[in-house]
Amino acid sequence: MRLFWIIISALSNMFTVLLLAPLLEGILRKLTAWVQSRQGPPLWQPYFDLLKLLGKEDLESGELPVVQQFSACLALAAPLTVAGLLPLGSSAPLQERADAILLIYLLVLCGGATLLAGLSAGSTYSLIGVSREMMTAITLEPLFVMAVVVGALNIHSFRLESVLDGSPYAAAHFPWSGLIMLGVLAFSLQAFVNRVPFDIGEAETEIMEGPLMEYSGPKLALFKYAQMVRLVIFAALFINLFLPLGNDWRFPLGLVVFWSKVMLLVAAITVIAATHARLRIDQAMRYFAGLAGISLVALVLAVCGF
Amino acid sequence: MLTPENAVMAAFLACCAGAVLTLLTGRHKILSGWLAFLVTVIASGLVLYAAGQVLWFGPAHAVTYWTLPKYGFALRIYVDGLSAIFLGLISVTALTSTFYSIEYMAQDPCRTVRRYYPNLLLFIGAMDGIVCTTDTLFFFFIFWQLMTLTAFGLIRFDHTRPGNRRAANKYLVMMQIACALTLIGAICLATTSAVVGQETLPRYDFDTFSHYLPQLFQEKSLWVNFAFLMFLLGFGIKVGMWPFGPVWLPDAHPAAPSPVSALLSGVMIKTGIYGFMRYFIWLVPASSVTTYPNEEWGLVIAVLGTITLLLGTMEALRQDQTKRLLAYSSIGQMGYILLAIGACLSVIHSQPALAALAFFGGLFHTVNHGLFKSLLFLNAGSVAQATGTQDLNQLGGLFKYMRVTGCATLVGCLAIAGIPLFCGFASKWNIYVSVIQCGSSASFLPLCAVIAMANGALTLAVFVKFFGAAFLTRTSALVRQRAARQRLEVSWKMWLPKITLAALCLLLGLVPLAAWHWTQLALASSPQGLGPLLLTRTPIKDIGSSGFYALGGRAVYAPAMVLLILGLSLVLAFGISRLGGAAKRRVAPWLCGYAQEHATHQYGARNYYGVLRGYFQRLSRRPATPKRPPDSPSQAPPDA
Repeated sequence: MRLFWIIISALSNMFTVLLLAPLLEGILRKLTAWVQSRQGPPLWQPYFDLLKLLGKEDLESGELPVVQQFSACLALAAPLTVAGLLPLGSSAPLQERADAILLIYLLVLCGGATLLAGLSAGSTYSLIGVSREMMTAITLEPLFVMAVVVGALNIHSFRLESVLDGSPYAAAHFPWSGLIMLGVLAFSLQAFVNRVPFDIGEAETEIMEGPLMEYSGPKLALFKYAQMVRLVIFAALFINLFLPLGNDWRFPLGLVVFWSKVMLLVAAITVIAATHARLRIDQAMRYFAGLAGISLVALVLAVCGF
Repeated sequence: MLTPENAVMAAFLACCAGAVLTLLTGRHKILSGWLAFLVTVIASGLVLYAAGQVLWFGPAHAVTYWTLPKYGFALRIYVDGLSAIFLGLISVTALTSTFYSIEYMAQDPCRTVRRYYPNLLLFIGAMDGIVCTTDTLFFFFIFWQLMTLTAFGLIRFDHTRPGNRRAANKYLVMMQIACALTLIGAICLATTSAVVGQETLPRYDFDTFSHYLPQLFQEKSLWVNFAFLMFLLGFGIKVGMWPFGPVWLPDAHPAAPSPVSALLSGVMIKTGIYGFMRYFIWLVPASSVTTYPNEEWGLVIAVLGTITLLLGTMEALRQDQTKRLLAYSSIGQMGYILLAIGACLSVIHSQPALAALAFFGGLFHTVNHGLFKSLLFLNAGSVAQATGTQDLNQLGGLFKYMRVTGCATLVGCLAIAGIPLFCGFASKWNIYVSVIQCGSSASFLPLCAVIAMANGALTLAVFVKFFGAAFLTRTSALVRQRAARQRLEVSWKMWLPKITLAALCLLLGLVPLAAWHWTQLALASSPQGLGPLLLTRTPIKDIGSSGFYALGGRAVYAPAMVLLILGLSLVLAFGISRLGGAAKRRVAPWLCGYAQEHATHQYGARNYYGVLRGYFQRLSRRPATPKRPPDSPSQAPPDA
């Protein structure tokens, strides 16, 4: 019976994200258009795009169609799994069955699926994209890990529902470490959701979406969908970690507060993306290395109880 | 009566007899191979029997087979729980490697296998011996030398290549230094013979050391610490710890034939881990845990482990040779185990529950690494045999031609990269949980843990490159040429061992609790030293549906649940992709519409992660590949 409820709530989380993710993407596009003084597509355009792509011809240019099919499914399934674990304005579905370390590695798997896609397509542009995507992941990973570890150190627990509840601020003294990590993650959020100025692995205008270049039709729909879901889950992660105020209010209120915060965060991401230019890979890596240095300071502070 | 000790001795003798037999039949490669496999089955059967006996019914008594009391010389064999775990790992890897050898050596161009199977069998026998002997001087020396010299012979098996000869010589020198250091350590601790229980033990026996250690430590604490420093250095060289590992390991492991590389990386360097556990955890009596500087040694080992894991993986990222890449990543993975042992020592007094968790993580990762690294080396061997090269730049698209090998490699790569549901994740999970939570009593440990966790992405990058460049991407010219001539997929005799190892990796990943129960049994049947301290706490609690809590519910891992949710999402994603009923069509890859795909603009393995490699190069100040790679084709790859 318990298992049944876990599955139901995980599935409801997944469907919520699947339904709302294109809407957020639509808002993002509209806002980008406004910032750039354009009219912009209608709010529902991402839904139509996905539907159209699902019916379009599926062109296979790689040598391993099975692996390509699998990686397209995994690319959407991995972020959906994460969505199934997260508290999205309600309590986390897998209350006692998941912890923060699993979360970190599932997020690695999300990136891994795109890499697999690029590798199995195997064209030169795909591989350039794969290489860049992986390098970004290597330098980004420590930042998220340190945010979670600072939280876990403060509350002496890895349980997902405890860590994802403002744990970085739960230090014994004034939470300097939590505030530093808030800044660090705020400055790297664009990269976690693969948006300008850190969409170096996909770089549409340069290497034509890199790993996704050889994909079309339903597979491309899955990758695009995954990209939208990623935006939602990283926004949700950020809010749960650093801005949990109001998430636990009574039923409809908590939900409304949570999703409005997600919208605001997406709007912030959009404004930054619309007003910046893409960085080069080495510039981005130096930037992340600097952030990693700062978060190391935060970790030392967290160990000392600040 | 077949006590565990007798069984191990019998296995050792069987290996010796097998060595003689295979020496005689060396001209017939296939006959020799099956004979060697038969002997390994017998020896492994005996050893597994011994291990099972010890784990389920507790340790028997140590048996002295031969002694010369005047010199303190004694062949005393004792199998306890810790030895049993290592014996199990040695047998599984030995069985798969020997079976794999039959076909591998049959296809090798060498004329005779006289220098192969006898060495291999003695090597396996010596490893069985070294994890069971209690004589820390003479028989330790004998088994160590037997292991080293046979491995030396195996590494220089293909001695026509000068690179291999050099690698073997380097290996020999480093192992002799390691041996000398450990022996100096043993001599430092030796006092006089002791009466323990009803047995009079010679002065170089492990139990004598343990008996006199508190007294000796009170009198000459500096001296004892010096001895431990010698053990740290000696076993550190063996496991490939920074700064010694990169000197010999990346040259020696790729030089040997692949089944031997699997044994070297899978179990031989684990004898160093065994040494670390045996001397640092099992030597100090539990009564003197407060007086002995565990925290300091823990700090040293954990910090060295962290440096090792980071530098090993960084070097691995820069390699273009399959087996060299695997060898460097072995150094990296040894770092994780050292970190776990260090964390265990640092908190063994203050927080035994965390120490037990860290120890479990370390031991579990030792076993896991043994399994997936042998798996990866066997696969690298198949690839090298099918294509005639170890150079990732010349490989590509092998998955289409080698399905079984490709799938087995994928399992190995996912396991070593620590993807959830595979065995590597389960052991790393234990290490991370314990090492981070150790922060409250040893504040340096969370820093080490963060470096180790961030290293996860780096490991993934290494194996994305390894698997991607060899098995995915486009079919390279070399592979196409080879595939036109012959079937590339290896025969069942070569893929059966790989499938077995891959299945074990999956099984341990899905049911990590089994490993936990075995560790509990092992600790329960290793009653000496600080082992019992680790047993009295039970940090892991079974919560059904194959999941478990650690630290009273503060961390939790439920593989079955993750599998369920991931499976549901995969089905969902697949369903979505089928909604539109899109038609499929094969086309050529798109290169901006004006060029056809050509080998000259393919993206080779040497191009991966260019920026990052540049940074690492500046850090290590060493060229990525040696001037003459030990086992690569003579012609240089066409440079882009």
